[in-house]
Amino acid sequence: MTDSELHPFVESIAREARRPVVTDPAARERIMAAVRAEPVPVRRSGVWSRLVAPRTFALSPAMGTLLAAGLVGIGVLVGNLALNRDGQSAAGRPPVAVAPQLPVSDTVVRFVYVAPRATSVYVVGDFNGWDTTKTPLSRTSQDGVWSVTLPLSAGRHIYAYVVDGSWSADPHAPLAPDDGFGHANSVKLVRGGSSL
Amino acid sequence: MTHGSLQRSVRILARVGVLMFASALPLVAQDVDPLVKLETRDRFAIDLMIDSANMAGLPSNPLRQMALLGLAKRADGRKIVEAVRKQLNLLRTAREVLGAVDDQELTAGASVLSAGAKPAQLATFRPRKKGRNDLQAFVVWTDFLERKVPNDDAFSAITKLWQDGADDATFYSLWTNVQADISQGLNPGTALQNRIRETPGRPTPLPVKPPEGAAGEPKLERL
Repeated sequence: MTDSELHPFVESIAREARRPVVTDPAARERIMAAVRAEPVPVRRSGVWSRLVAPRTFALSPAMGTLLAAGLVGIGVLVGNLALNRDGQSAAGRPPVAVAPQLPVSDTVVRFVYVAPRATSVYVVGDFNGWDTTKTPLSRTSQDGVWSVTLPLSAGRHIYAYVVDGSWSADPHAPLAPDDGFGHANSVKLVRGGSSL
Repeated sequence: MTHGSLQRSVRILARVGVLMFASALPLVAQDVDPLVKLETRDRFAIDLMIDSANMAGLPSNPLRQMALLGLAKRADGRKIVEAVRKQLNLLRTAREVLGAVDDQELTAGASVLSAGAKPAQLATFRPRKKGRNDLQAFVVWTDFLERKVPNDDAFSAITKLWQDGADDATFYSLWTNVQADISQGLNPGTALQNRIRETPGRPTPLPVKPPEGAAGEPKLERL
């Protein structure tokens, strides 16, 4: 005994399902014409399909951090490899020797500048790559004395002060030759253990 | 993973990435040469001159320092290239004139030429006693020329002391006195002529007292 024999409602559904479907005779032709009009799909290899198929990744914050760190590290490494030490692309550039380094100094020199109204005083020179923000002088007293102590290598050094953004030579030191850029510079001679 | 948690993760990733990138920038910047601020054409010209100096056995650091100085003073790139070229030519001339001196003396000799001395005058200092160093003489000579002491007067004074065997302290003493006189308003040539008469050629036994600086003027202390 089947379910349809037991339940008249089920039997009525089955009867409906058994009834043959009457279709439009032209429908088959229309469907086939539409199929023929579609472009023929390109057949891809299994590997390619796997590579291009979209996927959903689940990433924990910790793993994401590691991934970001790795990407940054790779970026820094590639940047260092692509750029030479001078920061310029190594490709298509003639070889240039690295500037010789001055010997390590055992002489300490104190630079002093008296400027009661100044708000900032820097010393710039060949010993700090002419960086106008690298070597600030500290105000050491209320009467406007600024100073800084630097170890300098033996030899001749060119320098100047930058007081509130304005360049100033040291009037208590010999003048360096005019560089053509405006504002005079001073010369400091450092001997081994002494300076003049 | 829900849509909300995915967005949160992406935001966290982005923040971490930005932070790490920002922290890595100073590390990269340390290796970047300040000369990259120059236009490529100017930088290339300076690199070529540095290379030429190295090939000729001349010190290249003065060329690099000149370029850095120009950048620090915000000079035009073309002007910087010209200054570096001038420096290279001065170094070449100084080498021809002075012969095999060390890099420091060579650079100081180039400075004397830059200040207006003639190569023939600088050639006077070529024959030298072994171990003698003329850095101080060249520095003082350059300063006199920069302070508008007449060329012949400056040359005469420096060569007189040099031929008398004056030491660094003597040259420095002369400079100190002349500089003080010029600061008082004396004509630079007259100041030198007056002071050279009273300056002994032999080493001075007593240390030289530097001039008193007025308030507001910078001074350099020696340790």
